[in-house]
Amino acid sequence: MRAIVGNTMVPTIRLTVPGTLRYRAIAVRVVGEACRLVSSSTQRDPDDPVVHDVRDPFDTAVISAFMEIFNNIAIHAYKRTGGGVIDLAITPTERELVIEVRDHGHPFDLDDVTPLPNELDEDSLPEGGMGIHIAKTMLDEMTYEPGPPNLWRLRKRLSANQAAGARRS
Amino acid sequence: MPTPFEVQRHPTETRLAVRGSLDINTAPSLAEEIDAIIATRPPKVIVDLSGLDLIDSSGVAALVKLYKGVRGANGTVAITGARDQPLAIFKLLRMDKVFNL
Repeated sequence: MRAIVGNTMVPTIRLTVPGTLRYRAIAVRVVGEACRLVSSSTQRDPDDPVVHDVRDPFDTAVISAFMEIFNNIAIHAYKRTGGGVIDLAITPTERELVIEVRDHGHPFDLDDVTPLPNELDEDSLPEGGMGIHIAKTMLDEMTYEPGPPNLWRLRKRLSANQAAGARRS
Repeated sequence: MPTPFEVQRHPTETRLAVRGSLDINTAPSLAEEIDAIIATRPPKVIVDLSGLDLIDSSGVAALVKLYKGVRGANGTVAITGARDQPLAIFKLLRMDKVFNL
């Protein structure tokens, strides 16, 4: 699959990492760079291209969601023990980013996720179960197909304002 | 990879500054410090997140644990300086009102 970013055809970016949290930073870094292809966001310090610089709303949404899905796979699919890989297929286009995340671990039951309470107060502050909620809310579309391989498909579109800004830059 | 954090204990308040990324890889080391803070039953804890660039649900959970632990011992918690991605996460989880961000 090839997509158009600006006037340039770009292929889908593929990355395979071991399914452990040790490799999350590498995957997040790649996703972050893919975000910048779409959003045209800039790094705070070009001489220090660390991933911990998320100010753009589009980048924020994608990276926040992706981190939670990676966590979920490493913890629930691979039970924190590794033993498998995570395959990423990242397709940036002019107006959106699509990330397909595949693993060969235990399937995840989305129906088991407890929704957050509608009204939060001190007593109802959750100490867990927030990851899927963050991912789903941050994205325009999130689907999961149990496998093998299990497939998470994440889609985030630029807002109209962001798309106009990206075209100008 | 430890979370860069700093704790300053004073008679009237405890200050916790968190920098960089508070996530599933770094939150466990902070959680140990949080346990130690809660054990002292501080009357007031100020959490400075102005240096925090990135947070995930594990990092949020660590801060919620601190908040509940201190409040449960009749202390107060003030979370300050949240910005960018961490602030977006707190708002998405509707914790910004509870934390007065």
